[in-house]
This record gives sequence, structure tokens and C-alpha cells, in this order.
Amino acid sequence: MIEFKNVHLQYAGKKVLQKLSFKVREGEKVAVLGKSGSGKSSLFQMALGFVNPTHGKIFFDGILVNGKSSWKIRKQVAYIDQDVSLGNGKVSDIIDFISALKANSHLDFSDGKVAGLSDFFELENGILDKNIEELSGGERQRLAIIISVLLKRNIFFLDEITSALDKHLKKKVADFFVEKDDWTAIIISHDPVWLENQSVKVFDLEEGKWKL
Amino acid sequence: METLNLSVISLSLAFLLFIVPVALSLVFGFKLIKPLFYSSVRMSIQLVLVGIFLKYLFQWNNPFINLVWLAIMITVAVFTAVKASAIKISRIFTPVFLSFSIATLAVIFYMIFFVIPLETVFDARYLVVLSGMLLGNSLRGNVVGISTFYKNIKRDQKKYLYILSLGASEFEALLPYLRESIQLALKPTLASMATMGIVALPGMMTGVILGGASPVVAIKYQIMIMIAIVVSTITSVVLTILLTMRVCFSKSGVLKQDVFNKI
Repeated sequence: MIEFKNVHLQYAGKKVLQKLSFKVREGEKVAVLGKSGSGKSSLFQMALGFVNPTHGKIFFDGILVNGKSSWKIRKQVAYIDQDVSLGNGKVSDIIDFISALKANSHLDFSDGKVAGLSDFFELENGILDKNIEELSGGERQRLAIIISVLLKRNIFFLDEITSALDKHLKKKVADFFVEKDDWTAIIISHDPVWLENQSVKVFDLEEGKWKL
Repeated sequence: METLNLSVISLSLAFLLFIVPVALSLVFGFKLIKPLFYSSVRMSIQLVLVGIFLKYLFQWNNPFINLVWLAIMITVAVFTAVKASAIKISRIFTPVFLSFSIATLAVIFYMIFFVIPLETVFDARYLVVLSGMLLGNSLRGNVVGISTFYKNIKRDQKKYLYILSLGASEFEALLPYLRESIQLALKPTLASMATMGIVALPGMMTGVILGGASPVVAIKYQIMIMIAIVVSTITSVVLTILLTMRVCFSKSGVLKQDVFNKI
């Protein structure tokens, strides 16, 4: 369970979040709504320990998120940021780098596994040999999704991951995440494909309330 | 062979050559006259004072005074290196001072103990002069190393956080940046090493030859000093980055923004 308890966030003198409290339970899929600049992405940044709340606390399975615990928490979460910051270079080099990390050394990052997921998400063959710079926005998003799945984690922080996809792929991606009962996902998106899904709860960040 | 001394008039004749850059600056509007004047006056005053000081330092040859002078040299080198980076001096002075001291002293004492070897370890003629050469190079390497490391992480902030989110340890996430910084920091030293003797006769060798020693002796010393320079430069840059990381990154591995100077 992830719990935000009376969280305030001030950034460069500006109040971004105030008195925010909500919980996301295991297996829940929660879409977070809010205008640009309302602090949506900051929720993930705080839960991963990258940004400290000005006031209030965040708990991850009952453990307070802080400098020490954030290292363990990151190993349980698959995070995709809005800009899909994969860096530069060949896709295969990036996959190799990620698979060589000690935390991921037990996972299957084989070419076959990547090819299977690429096929499912309709990425063309030979993606591994391409350079990140050559990929379109939609291809980068799908590559980041594939990486998040390869990490074999059960909690997903998904920040605008379907913004560059066509209608058919948006649905495919949303269904893929929503259908997994044991996966917990917090999704930042305004896309109806998430918001209109019966299995997705919607939290309005500006009002600080669940939308019914 | 005695070295010919230069009279004040001879030195003035050397300064006369500045007509060339002054003229070029006037013709092309380089605006270099003022900085040229400032730098050359500063260089002359500093060298005259150091010349006088070194004369006494060599005369006294007191280990304590030699070490104090060495500490002053390291402090100035550290200030200059950090000032050229974008990081606040108050935050990283101690780690950089430690890294410069460890890298320089370890290499110098190795050379003095085992390579030369000298009977008196703290002999000013060797300790101060050799340390100066090592510190000058460490300084250049560190300016490039520190700046590249921190600027690149700041530039790649999102990518760096993404790597952390993938489960990377701080060291795993920073290793590519460390590699790039070290390679860049060492590049000028390695390039000058590779062309040494053909393109350039380095200052130390020229000095030893002009001082009357045989070119063979000068070359042996030059090889020794180049090895010392490479080892101390790479050691100090690696140590600087590893030690400053402790103060520049938060417990959760995020680069603190308040370590940078306000632009």
C-alpha cells in the first residue's frame, strides 16, 4: 500500500501541493487527474525519494519513505517518467546496462524476451539495433513500457505513458496493465482510455478527492 | 656548463616581444591588452617573490617549513580548481584538499623514497619542485574532471533519476559519468605524453638541460615526472569525485541543487 499523509510540497516558493492525503491499496489501479503544474509528477518523485515533501509523510507498505528506505522502494517499483528519459545510444546497450545492474541481475532480459514483448506492443523487428534518437515518441513510450515489464515488479508509476500512442495502442497498453490483478498502478493521464475504464479509480489532485 | 644569466635589460627585451600580441589585439579588436598586461605583471611579481622565497627555502631546507609551503601550494591549487567548477567552495574544499594531498604526497614520497632515492625525504629542492609540477597538472585535471562530472549529471538529471528508479545503486548510476570525466580529465596529459620530445620539450627537461645537466639525465627525470603526473592526476581526480559525492548527493542519491554557485 502507498499512502500520502497530509503532504505539502512547496517548490521555488510556490505551493504545489497542500494537505494531500490518499491511499493506494495493493492491486488497485489509480488514475491521478490535475492541471499542468498541479504536482502530479511530484507524487512519483516524492514516493521514490527524489523529492522530499515540505511537510507530511509518505508510506510505502507501512515504511516511511526517506533517504535510506528509498533505495529499497525503487527496487519494487517500475517507473516511467513523462519524457521517457532513456538517454542516448543503441537500444540494446541500454537494455544491457539495465540488466547488468545488481538489482536486476536475476531477471530475464534476453533478446527473445524483448522480442516477444516488442511483438505484443507492435514494435517493429530490429528495435534492439536502433538508436534511441531514431525512435518516435510512441516507440520510446512502448520501449519504456517493455523495460518496466522486464523489471518484473508489481507496482507501476506511469506518467503519461500513452500520450504518443494511437487509439488502438492506447487501449492495448491500458488493458495490459489494468487486467493484471496483482499489479498496483498509479497512472498520471487525462486519457479516457484510463479514466473511463471501470477498473480504474480516479483521484482529482486539485480537489484532493476521489472522483465517483 | 654554466647557465648564462639573464640581465634585467635582456628580460626587458623578452617583454618587447609583447608588441606582437598587442598589435594583433589592436588590429583585430581582441581586447587582450588589459588581460595580457594584468597576467604578465602578476606572473612577474609572483615569480620574483617565489624566486626570492625559494632561494631561502632551499637555504634553510627545514622539513617543517617545506611541509607548510607544500600545504599552502595545495590550498591554492584546491581553491583554483574548485573556483573553476560550478560548485560552492565551502561545500567541497575539505574533500578536494584531502584528495590533492593524498594523491600528491603518496606519489612524491614514492618517487623520493624508491625511485631517486634521496637520503632526506623533505629536501626542498625535490619535494617542493616536484610537488609543484604534480599539483599544476592535478589542478588542470580536476578542473575538467569536477566540471564535467557535475555538469553532466545536472544536464542528465531526468535520465539519472530514471536509472536510480531502475534499482541502480548510487555507484552504478554514477559510474558512466565518472568514466567520462576521468577520460576527459586525462586527455590533455596523455596527449602531451604521446608527443613528448618530438612536439614539445617540457619545462622541467628544458630547465634541467639549461641548468647544465646532460640531456640523458634530463630525459630520465622527465620520464619519472610524467609517470608521477599521470598517476597523481588520475588518483586526485578519482578521489575528488568520490569524496565530493559524499557531500554533493543526498542520502537518497539525488544531486543537491544548493551545492552549485548561483549564476
